[in-house]
Amino acid sequence: MNKKAFAAILALLLTLALLVGCGQAAPATPTPVPDSGDTPAVETPAPVQSGRAASNEIVIGIAQDLDSLDPHHMTAAGTQEVMFNVFEGLVKPNAAGQIVPAVASEVQVSEDGLTYTFTLREGVRFHNGEPVDMEDVVYSLTRRMDGADAAAKNVALDVISDVQTEDDRLILTLSEPSGDFLAYLMNVYIIPMDYEDLETHPIGTGPYKFVSRAVQDNLVLERFADYWGEGGKVDKVTYKILENNEGLVLGLQSGALDLVNHMTSEQTSQLSASDFHVEQGSMNLVQALYLNSGVAPFDDVRVRQALCYATDKQAMIDLAFDGYGIPLGTSMFPSFSKYYDDSLTDYYPHDVAKAKALLAEAGYPNGFEMSITVPSNYSPHVNTAEVLAEQLKEVGIQVKILPVEWNSWLSDVYTNRQFQSTVIGLESNNMTARKLLDRFASTAANNFTNYSNPEYDEILARAISSVDDAEQTEAYRQLERILTETAANVYLQDMADLVAVRNGLNGLTFYPIYVLDVSTLYWG
Amino acid sequence: MNYVIRRILMLLLTMLIVSFLTFLAFELVSGDVAQTKLGTEGTPEQVAALRHELGLDQPFLLRYGQWLGGFFTGDLGVSYYNPQPMWELIGPKLGVTLILAAISFLLITLISIPLGLLSYRLAGSPLDGLRTAFNQLCMAVPPFFIGILFSWFFGITLKLFIPEGFPSSIRANPGEAMTQLFFAAVCLSIPRIAMTVRMMRSTVIGEMQKAYVRTAISRGNDRRGVLLRHVLKNSLTGTVTFLAQTLAELIGGSIVVEQVFGIPGLGRFLVAEIRALDYPVVQTIVVILAFWVVLAGTVADLINQRIDPRLRLGGAK
Repeated sequence: MNKKAFAAILALLLTLALLVGCGQAAPATPTPVPDSGDTPAVETPAPVQSGRAASNEIVIGIAQDLDSLDPHHMTAAGTQEVMFNVFEGLVKPNAAGQIVPAVASEVQVSEDGLTYTFTLREGVRFHNGEPVDMEDVVYSLTRRMDGADAAAKNVALDVISDVQTEDDRLILTLSEPSGDFLAYLMNVYIIPMDYEDLETHPIGTGPYKFVSRAVQDNLVLERFADYWGEGGKVDKVTYKILENNEGLVLGLQSGALDLVNHMTSEQTSQLSASDFHVEQGSMNLVQALYLNSGVAPFDDVRVRQALCYATDKQAMIDLAFDGYGIPLGTSMFPSFSKYYDDSLTDYYPHDVAKAKALLAEAGYPNGFEMSITVPSNYSPHVNTAEVLAEQLKEVGIQVKILPVEWNSWLSDVYTNRQFQSTVIGLESNNMTARKLLDRFASTAANNFTNYSNPEYDEILARAISSVDDAEQTEAYRQLERILTETAANVYLQDMADLVAVRNGLNGLTFYPIYVLDVSTLYWG
Repeated sequence: MNYVIRRILMLLLTMLIVSFLTFLAFELVSGDVAQTKLGTEGTPEQVAALRHELGLDQPFLLRYGQWLGGFFTGDLGVSYYNPQPMWELIGPKLGVTLILAAISFLLITLISIPLGLLSYRLAGSPLDGLRTAFNQLCMAVPPFFIGILFSWFFGITLKLFIPEGFPSSIRANPGEAMTQLFFAAVCLSIPRIAMTVRMMRSTVIGEMQKAYVRTAISRGNDRRGVLLRHVLKNSLTGTVTFLAQTLAELIGGSIVVEQVFGIPGLGRFLVAEIRALDYPVVQTIVVILAFWVVLAGTVADLINQRIDPRLRLGGAK
């Protein structure tokens, strides 16, 4: 009897355990779970497509949460990439790298380059349905100009000396000519005047409007029907935040995600061609071994040049990036075709003998020890540093790699300049050549490499104030050449941007800045 | 009464120490949230202004004091990144983790106690070696690894759930959400079930060798009756304490499992917020976790006192 009772209890408990499981799992079946078909994906397109294609929505995987929903407070490139679809300035960038009118319909610049006149576009509405009027524009502009809100202030706008309005026209007067002024206005996103809930429910004028957000998990956008322009094609866009890289790959394979950008070739190789196609663009950043010219031995130009000769960038790209990536020789990338000088790329061919000779000349015949600080969460940079360490060993330089948290990198390397060298990619978030070059001015606050060269400073000042385009372009090209000749840094590559896109989803457009335009995407 | 007061004091003390240590850890770690927030664009003046705005320019002890004062008056502070009320931020994540922990705990309790008794019955039989090996394997394999296997097998191959496809909220698709939580809970439970079984088995074996068992059997009771009527009850106090520990540790384990499954729970949130240097949120989560751990211990004490009246007298064996 006892044996039976024991068996009965056991059976009951196990059944209960099973029931718990089934009880939870049961409701899953009736809900339309995409990708639940059991036909092999090779024969028929994955059912995922029909599911989300039918409801005309997409899910995009991103690696980090947004740093702020307030468009004037966001600084992370990853946030900009997403919110580009929600906010617009008076002008905005297009895929060709031009600055085109957005909330303004027309921009006029006076001959002397000191007066900018913007005509407000008719019929532009905020996502809450309110029309955009001049008050909103002036409010948005001044919020970024004055220092009342420390995080929102943009020092590049200090050049504005006067703001006037005249009916539907905004007239800005500059204290000195600024060839890149419009580029700096792109990030002056237009928001409703005195709107209080930007941080939790942002309102802009872009083709997609904010719907909801779960911190560190997801962000949902919806097509804005009253958009002044052509607008988006997909009705609903969900951004899913998955911090670990394996998660992004798994999410694509499982059908949870339709599109992920900034992938590595190793990741994309895990995806099946019957479900995904991979599109290749460029990240538009300058990846380099940035050298702290303020400390020995990198204060000696010969040592820096020796490092350049010792480095084989193509071999590094082949090894760490499976050959994806465009070798660079200066602080400029090919998307800026106007300013890019390709002849600088191979200025320092791989030459171990020359590197050794230069080192000997500089007083280091047996090489030296150095450290490369890398942000540990960016595996491409870590991998790059590892390959460089091997290459530099050939000329007798012993490299110690110091992986640090991103926060430490920002404070120790970028702000306090306590480092010898670092591998990082620097971008231009407003499509100007100036952004890439002005950090090497000896007095620039963001000149973390301590590069100092009076000739460079002089040409840069001339370039910035120039209103003659040809003259400015020429000056920028000169600056690039100086950076190469003085081996300011060991320039490596413009990293490839590999985007995995679910088959059936089309229209992906690459921009020369770090944005992902979802309004061009469509199923079909 | 005395007991309740002692427990509450202990709870407060634990939370105080834990919150102080967390505060201290953030003070010692390099990196500055103002700098992180402004990124590579911020000028030194902007960073300084933001530090002031966030109150980071004040001395460490003063800031801790302010936080503590706020905590006791119900003000948990505001996230540096998401200025909505703290509970709105943490509530949904806590809910997800509580469901995950509850399913895991139910699985552990319902499976390991009968299995523990059963495994005692196997002692000495040829199957025992196999059982020991399997048990060791289950204990040794970390939940994250089981998680990866589960994602592949149950997710990608059998398509029972969508790995990394947790719905945007539980309410949006409760079926999918609960399926994911169930599989995550199984991953979380397997090593703990193995441990509980092993623990129960050795307790029962030890208990069966005691004099009262011999007496009971010599008086004509059969072994199984003694096992269920006397030994089980006597083995339970240790098991309950162990299960309470499990309850506390489930939260820790959920941090890993939530990462693997992409489940938006408290653990994953904590990791992300630590990375973002968002102290107010981290502080709140840490206090919740401390509360959870102390609570688990208290519940274990209370249950054990019901099972074994000797414990009610406060300390006697």
